[in-house]
Amino acid sequence: MKKTIRTLLASSILAMSVQAAAETKVGFIYVGPKTDYGYNYAQDQGRLYLEEHMDDVETVYFENIPENADVQRVMERMVRSGVEVVFPTSYGYLDHALKVAEKYPEVHFAHSGGLKTSDNLMTYFAEIDQAMYLAGVAAGLTTKTNQLGFIAAHPIPQVLRNINAFTRGAQSVNPDVTTSVIWTSSWSDPTKEAEAAEALISDGADVLTGHVDSPINYVQVAERRGVYSVGYHADASQFAPKGWLVGAIWNWGPMMEGIVKSAKDGTWKSEHLRGDLLTGAAKLSDFGSAVSEESQQEVLDRQASIMNEEFQVWAGPIFSQDGTELVAEGDVMSLEETEKMDFLVKGVKGRLK
Amino acid sequence: MTSSTSPVLKFGLRLLAGPAGAVLVMAATFVAAALIFFAINGREALSLFHEMVMGAFGDGYSFSETLVKTAPILLTALAVALPARLGLISVGGEGQLYLGALFGTGAVLAAVEQPGWLLMPLMLTGAMAGGALWGVIPGLLKTRLGVNETISTLLLNYVGVLLVSFVVHGPWKNPNSLGWPATIEFPEGAILPQFFDTRVHMGLIFGVVAAIVLHILVTRSRWGLGLQVSRSNPRVGTTAGISYERNVLIVMAVGGLLAGLAGIAEASVIQNRLQDGLASGYGMTGFLVAWLAGQNFLRIIPLSVLMGGLLASADSLQLYAQLPKASADILQALLFITVLAVSSLWARRRAA
Amino acid sequence: MESFITELLTLLFAALRSATPVLAVVLGESMTQRSGVINLGVEGQMLLGAMTGFAVASITGDPWLGVLAACAAGIALSMVHAVLVLGCGANQIASGVAVLILGGGLSAYYGIPFVGDKIDTLGNLNHTFVSDIPLLGQFLGPITPTVLITLLAIPVISVFLFRTRTGLRWRSTGESLDITRNLGHNPAPYQLAAIAFGGLMSGFAGAALAVDYTANWVEGMTAGRGLVAVGLVIVARWNPWYALPAALLFGASEALNLKLQSWGVDISPYLLATLPYLIPLSVLILSYRGLRASGGGMPAGLKVVFQSAR
Repeated sequence: MKKTIRTLLASSILAMSVQAAAETKVGFIYVGPKTDYGYNYAQDQGRLYLEEHMDDVETVYFENIPENADVQRVMERMVRSGVEVVFPTSYGYLDHALKVAEKYPEVHFAHSGGLKTSDNLMTYFAEIDQAMYLAGVAAGLTTKTNQLGFIAAHPIPQVLRNINAFTRGAQSVNPDVTTSVIWTSSWSDPTKEAEAAEALISDGADVLTGHVDSPINYVQVAERRGVYSVGYHADASQFAPKGWLVGAIWNWGPMMEGIVKSAKDGTWKSEHLRGDLLTGAAKLSDFGSAVSEESQQEVLDRQASIMNEEFQVWAGPIFSQDGTELVAEGDVMSLEETEKMDFLVKGVKGRLK
Repeated sequence: MTSSTSPVLKFGLRLLAGPAGAVLVMAATFVAAALIFFAINGREALSLFHEMVMGAFGDGYSFSETLVKTAPILLTALAVALPARLGLISVGGEGQLYLGALFGTGAVLAAVEQPGWLLMPLMLTGAMAGGALWGVIPGLLKTRLGVNETISTLLLNYVGVLLVSFVVHGPWKNPNSLGWPATIEFPEGAILPQFFDTRVHMGLIFGVVAAIVLHILVTRSRWGLGLQVSRSNPRVGTTAGISYERNVLIVMAVGGLLAGLAGIAEASVIQNRLQDGLASGYGMTGFLVAWLAGQNFLRIIPLSVLMGGLLASADSLQLYAQLPKASADILQALLFITVLAVSSLWARRRAA
Repeated sequence: MESFITELLTLLFAALRSATPVLAVVLGESMTQRSGVINLGVEGQMLLGAMTGFAVASITGDPWLGVLAACAAGIALSMVHAVLVLGCGANQIASGVAVLILGGGLSAYYGIPFVGDKIDTLGNLNHTFVSDIPLLGQFLGPITPTVLITLLAIPVISVFLFRTRTGLRWRSTGESLDITRNLGHNPAPYQLAAIAFGGLMSGFAGAALAVDYTANWVEGMTAGRGLVAVGLVIVARWNPWYALPAALLFGASEALNLKLQSWGVDISPYLLATLPYLIPLSVLILSYRGLRASGGGMPAGLKVVFQSAR
């Protein structure tokens, strides 16, 4: 409740203050409800950041827009109502956004996570797998059964990256660790997520994490069953005062502010803009009390070495599930290679598709 | 004086007592319900309503997008209305739509090298076969085993959606799609024609033609009369040489086939490929429209346009009033409840 | 051997957990249909119950108040169905779909402020005597109150329906309105009560999901389980005792879908996810002989509904 009251207050104060200047209208499109406490919630927090930090910006949004006939119409409606910068925030919006961008060359589009650009369409994303790697380190240092559980929605690159990064992080401090994956085939199905968590725990996993819309369900089951949990998308530490280790969370606001500014002052570039731990677009949440002092220090040291580029998450050797070497020692996967990842690493138990 | 006005008054009253009156009462009740809903939530109801009407029919672009929404609604509504002629309650439009997209895409992938004149008919045939299959299975279960068709179509919806997920994440995933779960882009020859530089496509024509043909068949042909007989009394039908069981299979297959066409049209024109989230809820909306139209094929056409307009114009609710998406669902439900209540009361009054 | 038994028990209790909300709906809907009324709107009633229950639990801090509020919300929404069907004489299937959409819309709309709230749960049987029972204790311990209440509802409903005079009239209403009238009973109060009871049970099922099982509210969180429950009523043949195996069948196929993955079965998870729909359908198909012979125990009044699709 508190959260919503604060949001309401913030937006009503803003509604009063933004009236004066010539405003830039910025539009957001979400694939799910903006209150999913997950991916869409994080993007919407970015929108609220713009409202709060940029005086001359007004935002509008559409939520629950599926990646079908609706999204193109919604984008066109936005543009026709005067929106100058559009944030289509779901991967499946990319081709639709490219079509609309071609039709309205004076409007700027910033697509979340895609790998295609056009003159007025750029992409933005953040290497949150760095944070998942660090969370994996914490998990690897904490687990007693050496079994981690991962509740995943669909086998798409963004999810595979997180599963692999989490596992590699854990293996880097504890080579015996394996990660069991259960697919729920849905971004949001609380019952299935809770039941998947139960199944993983009964099979012996004692640290759970996941990549579904909201971390709340599996984090609560883990807490109830007395095992540890790692959050994703949004900080869910309040749901697990005992078992919370750490979480990988988004922080889109500053990045989005930069994009909107560049559109306004003409420095816009058609590029793949990627944030990471260093830029702060992806970050670790606070540690829970279940992580020991030494473990926390270890994770923070690793974080420092990622930030000063001593260490890279996707540096070889990387082996696939069946032991085949995918990346040789000394090689590093490129941005494009990681963003279209289609394998699971050694030590992950679960089916790829 | 009185003698000259009374015929006009009488005529007016008679008109109001007939279907025109029912429609008027429905419209008035729905508008009132919607305005109350907006007002409860502290919105300027009238201006919002104006935005919605403009968003549906206000200019060429808006109207074209309304028609884009209309096509799948129209086809899935027909897929409900035809079985209803035989007293069957099918809720399987969504699954049939997905199966149509699945089989149609299968045909495209198998014949991707072929020229358009061959590829397009193959794709459409595949789509019709897929949709028909998802209609015939519940039909067979009904006639052979007595399994209730409402339940079997309901369960098969979920299976259809998951089958599409399976192929786009697995065997049919385009290796060059940057890891995204989708098939390859359809070649030029597999994209259905569109009109006037908009996204309005052949699917709409299929729907309108199918509605008219079905109307003529059902009201004018021997077969259509046979349906009537079968429906009211299968035994009488059988003695008259009408096979109830064959008719069940025919209406379910034809219904499924039409929904299947809707599916491939969405994949071909709107997505240019097969992927998840092809159609969220067209099946249910089609079901609503079929019932709103009293299962009358001709009435389904304008009602599909209206429903398409309502759904497309629900954009305004989010864009101008920042109301959540759910407000469109609430409006849809209010509309349906109003029409159901008024039309049922009207029918009851006339029967009394 | 012992590990096999443990695995089996794990699966059984997982099935019971997943089955509970569905079981509650099957029980309620069976009673509704016994009076000759079908209500496809239970999915919407579940959602409204889930949202209301979660919201009240969050505001008041008392999850039991949430459960009560959820039941009330279920009843309130079911009254829309009652007014349309009993008051206006609207087609029951169509009216049910209207209620379904309305419930989905209202719950999503008014549930927004409560997303991400944390609520207290109803607790479980841990630290009671049952959790000390050898072998079974670890499974009985985590059982939550809504599971017990739903299981208890079975004998209660059964006694009411088959052993009381009111239950007899309730059933005869569903068999034939005319006979009921001729016997000098007004069928309307029975049908109204039947719809309200269906509303209560589906609202409760919503609470079982949102207040008890997941302690979380997400829009559309029932994910079709209410609709599937309407299908399971036929599998259960309108009998409260058969409702348990029917719901367990669904629960088990849901649990199995996830369990097979963790066992490393080499089948696509998307195909495994079809199990909860294909298995009930298969049971319907396999039991066709019985269905044919007796109409599956379908109340005669319901058959009329299915034959009036206009």
